[in-house]
Parts: sequence; C-alpha cells; structure tokens
Amino acid sequence: MSIFNYRIRALIRKELGQIRRDRRLAFSLILPPTLQLLLLGFALSANVENVKLGAIDYSRTPESRELIARLSESRSFRLVSYYDSVNELGDAISRNEVDAGMVIPYDLARDLQRGRPVTVQFLLNAMNANTAAIAQGYAEGVIQSYNAVLPAEGLRASFRRIRAVDLSRTGRIQLHPNFLYNPGLRDSWFIVTGVFGLLLILNSSLVAAGAMVREREAGTIEQLLMSPASTWEIVIAKITPLFVLLFLMAILATVIMKLAFAVPFHGRLPLVLSGAALCILSGISIGTVNATVSRTAQQAQLMAFFINPPINATAGAFNPVEAMPAWLQPVTVINPIHHFAVIARSSMLKGSGFGELWPNFLGLFLITLVLGTVSIWRFRKQLG
Amino acid sequence: MRRIRAQARKELTQIIRDWRTFSLALVLPMVLLLLMSTALSLTPSRLPIIVQDLDDSAASRHFIDAFRASNTFHVVAWPTDRQPEQAFMSNVADAAIIIPEHFGRDMARGSDTPVQLLIDASDANTAKLIAGYSQQITRAHNQGNSPYEQPVQAAIRLWYNPGRSSRKFFGPGIFVLGLSMFPPLLASLAMAKEGEQKTILQVYVSNISAHEFLLGKIVAFMVVALAECLLMLVWLFTYFGLNFAGDPTPFLIATVLYAFCVASFGTMVGAAIPSQVAAIQAVAFGGFLLVFLLSGLMFPIDNIPSGIRWISNLIWGRYYIEIVRDALLEGGGWPATWYKVAIIPAIGLVFYGIAWRTMRRMQLSI
Repeated sequence: MSIFNYRIRALIRKELGQIRRDRRLAFSLILPPTLQLLLLGFALSANVENVKLGAIDYSRTPESRELIARLSESRSFRLVSYYDSVNELGDAISRNEVDAGMVIPYDLARDLQRGRPVTVQFLLNAMNANTAAIAQGYAEGVIQSYNAVLPAEGLRASFRRIRAVDLSRTGRIQLHPNFLYNPGLRDSWFIVTGVFGLLLILNSSLVAAGAMVREREAGTIEQLLMSPASTWEIVIAKITPLFVLLFLMAILATVIMKLAFAVPFHGRLPLVLSGAALCILSGISIGTVNATVSRTAQQAQLMAFFINPPINATAGAFNPVEAMPAWLQPVTVINPIHHFAVIARSSMLKGSGFGELWPNFLGLFLITLVLGTVSIWRFRKQLG
Repeated sequence: MRRIRAQARKELTQIIRDWRTFSLALVLPMVLLLLMSTALSLTPSRLPIIVQDLDDSAASRHFIDAFRASNTFHVVAWPTDRQPEQAFMSNVADAAIIIPEHFGRDMARGSDTPVQLLIDASDANTAKLIAGYSQQITRAHNQGNSPYEQPVQAAIRLWYNPGRSSRKFFGPGIFVLGLSMFPPLLASLAMAKEGEQKTILQVYVSNISAHEFLLGKIVAFMVVALAECLLMLVWLFTYFGLNFAGDPTPFLIATVLYAFCVASFGTMVGAAIPSQVAAIQAVAFGGFLLVFLLSGLMFPIDNIPSGIRWISNLIWGRYYIEIVRDALLEGGGWPATWYKVAIIPAIGLVFYGIAWRTMRRMQLSI
C-alpha cells in the first residue's frame, strides 16, 4: 500500500466530499447515459420492413394478381395503391407516397403460357442506399419464390416443356443462409453494444474535464501545488473517485442492456467489464488533456465538440467498419470506442474469450497508456 | 432597425474574436460533414468471408470465383479443418460458405444442390445485406449455367441515387445536423453569457426593447448559419457530387427560415438557462441528439417504436432534412415540400415566443 499513503487518502477524501456535495455530477452520470442508451437503442434501427409499394398492373390476370399478392403478403412490402401509368407512379415515388413501384407488363400471362421469359420492372427510391440494397434483395427473393411456385399452377410445366425440354440441364445451387448468434436479426443488439463504449468515452471525458478544470477556475490549484503531495498523487487522487463513479455507470449500462434490450451474455462478464475499465481510463485521459488546454468549464465543453463527434463517427459504433471508406478504416485502430465495441459485441453476442479478443485488449491498453502518459505530462507541465 | 443592426454587429464581432467559437461556427461543420457522411455508411464493401470447399471440384471452384469476383466480398483463407464459428468469434470473417461433398457430381447430374451460408448476425443489418448479395450472386451463377430457367425476371431500376452511394444520402443529413447544432450552440452561449456575467442588466437599463434585443441576436446567428450553410453547400456540390435535382426555390426559402428557427432555438435556450455550461448541454441534447435520432438522418423514422415516433413530428430538423433531400436528390419541388416549408417558421416562432416571454419576465422581476 505504498502508493496509497495518507496524502493520497486525504486527497481522495477531499475529492469524494466535493463529489458528494455536487448533486449534479451524480445525476449527470445516471440520467443522461440511461436515456441515451435507451433512446439510441430503440430509435436507431436499420430494419427494412413494410416498404411502401405502388403497382401498375397492365396485365390484369390471375397470374399478375398472384404476383402482387406474393409481394404484399411478405412483411417486406406493403401494397399502398395501384397506378395507371408510369408517370403517376413516378410522381408518387418523388412525393414519398411509395418507396417502390412494380410494373407488370400486359403480356405476362400470355408469355408465360407460351414459355417466354417475362421481365417485371421494379422502381426503387434508392436515396437511402442501405434500404435500397435490402429492398432489392427482398424483391428478387419474392420473384424467385414466385418462380418456384409456378409449376404448381401448371404454368411452369408448360414453360419448361416448350423451352427447356431438350437442354442438358445442370443443377441449380440453392443457397441456404443461416443466421448465427442473432437469429431474430435484432438491430438493437448491435447498436447498444456499440453505444456502450461511446457513452463511456463521452461521459468519462466530459466529467474528467469538468473535475480537472474546476481547481483551475476556482484558483485553488496553487494550494494543491503548495501541499506536500506530488503531481502523481494529485492526479491519482483526482482520478480514483471519478473512476469508481464511472465504473458504476458502466455496470448500470450493462444492467439496462440486459433488462431493456435482452442482450445475451454468452461471454464472461469480467472480460467486458475490464474492457470497460480501460475504456473509462482512456476517456478520463482525453478529458484531462482537454482540461489542460482550457481555462474555464465552458471552454472545456466547447473543446469537447472538437474531440467527441469525430471519435464517435469513426468508431464503428452504429455501423460496420467495413462500410467506412478505405482511407478511414485503419484510423479505427487508434479509436478506443472501436476496440471496446468489438470486445463487448464479440463477448456478449458470440461468447468470444480473451484468446480471440487479445488484439483489441492490447490496442485498448496501448491507447490508454499513451493517452494517460500524455495527460499526466500535460498536467505536470501546467502545474510547473 | 438601427439598434437591431448594432446588436447583430456586436455579436458577430464577439464570435470572430474567439478562435474557439469562430472555428466552431465555420471550420468544425466542414470537417464533420466530410467525416461523418462518409464514415456513417451502412453498406459495406469487401466483407471478409471464408469458403470451406469440401468438394474441391471444377464446379465448386467456378462457383467460388463468382464470389471472388464481386466487390462486396473478400475471400479470406481459412483451413477446412477449423470450425467457421471460430472465424466469427475472432472477427476474421462475417460469413462462411460451405460447399458439400459431391457438389460437382450432383450439379452435373442436374439435381439441385444445397450450399450452406453461415452468417455472423451480430450485426443484423450487415447480415441481411450479406444474405441478399450472396443470393444475387448465386442467382446470376445459376442463370449463367442454365439460362431460361426463370420464367419471371425482375429488372430493378434505382432512382435518385443509382450508384447507391450512401455519401449522397448522408451528406444532406449531416449538413442539416451541422446547421441544427453549431449556430444554436453559439446563440445559446452568447445569450447565457449575458445572464451569467450580468451584462443583461445593461440591456435592461438601456432603451432597447426585448424584441430588438432578441432580433439583433437572432439576425447575427442567422448570418452565422447562412455562412456555414454556404460553405457546406460548396462541399456538397463538389466532393459529394450533388446538384439541385429540381426547383431550388423551396430549398432556398426553407434555408433562410431554418436559419431563423435554429437561431431562435439557441436564443431561447440561452434565455431560459442563464448558465453557459448547462446551456451547452441543453443544445447538445436538442440540437444534436434529437436531430440525430428522431429526424430520419441515418435510419428511417418508420423504424422508431411508435411510443416515441410521434416526437419526431415536433423535431424541426426532420422537416428540413426532407426538404434538403428532396431538393438535392428527388426534385419533387413545391408540391412535395410546401407544408414542410411552412412548419419550420411555425416552430421557429414558438421558440421566439418563449424567448421573448422569458426576457420580459426577467425584466419585470428586476
């Protein structure tokens, strides 16, 4: 217990007393993270369901109605209305009344009877690239299942008899996708495990910057300097109570993930929590560095706008890293949120252990080490 | 009028003097626009997949080549004797294709052959994309082997954004996010500072009226917002390759009105909360979190649970995002957007009204 000598204990007691009297701090570590986790987890979902569909049926036959019924039966599409011309349909798409349009040619049934392939046109509002990509997959899937059912209707039989009877037919590949770890395809699991790290860094950096800048703003930093305590002792005494508080917040967040989002905990919880501890330390270091370049709490908060949004955007908390531009992907290596998101996701959802996740722990550890060293160096320079 | 102008000039001078507020107003939005709109994309390319070819025949290699040739996938080496789950656990790959033995023989005989595709669904959206893309590749492969097999074919036309570039979708959204965040932030700071440093007392004793005082502030931050808007539009038109798709007048009018709306929002927050630190938090919540979450910036509004979806009807950014996307991508013009253009100043006037009431109350209480 040589580092935790009486000076450090006295300083920690002083910090704890200040924190206890600061109701707003404890409050700001409970309510906003809880709200943010719930809001982000519930509101951010890339799910593509019930795409609004407008149809033009030039064919008006049982076959065409069957095709439309197949599309609207699936939960992927929802038939909103019929249109008479492509112009009308185009206007409806531009007014966002429908997101997709289907044009069935007038000769659908006739061509199928005669064994000619028919082309059905789909118009998709591709403004949202992700929705368009998924809706495209749905549309093709529905058409394929329609094709598979045709033999039962007697149409395919004639189609094959006429067209493909004498072809030496090769087999077709049937791809069977199996969704592992998240068979219900719940979006929230990916989001909350990513947002978890984002909240840790965001809150620990803000709280630490606030705590560090307070002495400076109040002008009491000279008094600390005059005391026999060394810089190290001052820093450790400042960080320890904050760390404990933030760690409690991390535990609260895991409880919310379990209760509100039913995130499975396949891996070992201590592994995730030790990642969270490293994450909090690097967040505190970021806040400390911020505090050394700011003179007031207001300046520190403005500086945080230059720091947090870029870190958050390039973390892969809301989206896969593979979706980022190639020049940006390597940058995630120096992002603590990214490493923690990988740890939390892999451990909780897939049950990965330290054997698989050590590179991310190493990355997180190195980031914490570098940021911690820089922050203590900056803090000492400021004191000197 | 003269007093409004003087008040506005004073605010602008104060912003330019402090490098923090100045770069917050003009530099940071540009950086974030570039960074966020490219980084937040949801559609990945070069997804790592592993292939376990238990057949190792000409037919199976031909099938695998179809995946190798695609831009979406990137085949990673993985020994056949190791379980594919291990690749998922250590995040080496996101999906695994398992080709069974006798694949080539069965194909040659003309029987349909199942191929298993294991997908790491811990990211549900990417999992769906992987399933869709690999079905497309398989379908094209089948089609190439035996044409005329599919009686009905889908010809899919992608409108407004045929390259499915997510930059073009996110660019306008982040543009709105920047406008919803930085001008009100500065406005709230300027207003809260008057309360915190008690310079507001000088305002009370001067003969400037509450309306003139507020309008002076709002005009100054509208100028900030419009300058920011202009700079970001240059980005959008050059790097993002966007252009006006149709009639630009709804967009131009809505932009001025939106500048009024966000400047009033910031002024209202600053008037109601005379503490700079707390005002920053309030704007970060209103300007950033609400606009980011509830205006359909990244994910469709329809996906928000109905319990909180109604809130998005009150979020000013939501209407402006739809106007900007319409102007730059869809080109629907006035018929598609007129009521959205009308809602923005209505919300702005509510903010202005609240700010004015707070000002008057403070004046009377002293």
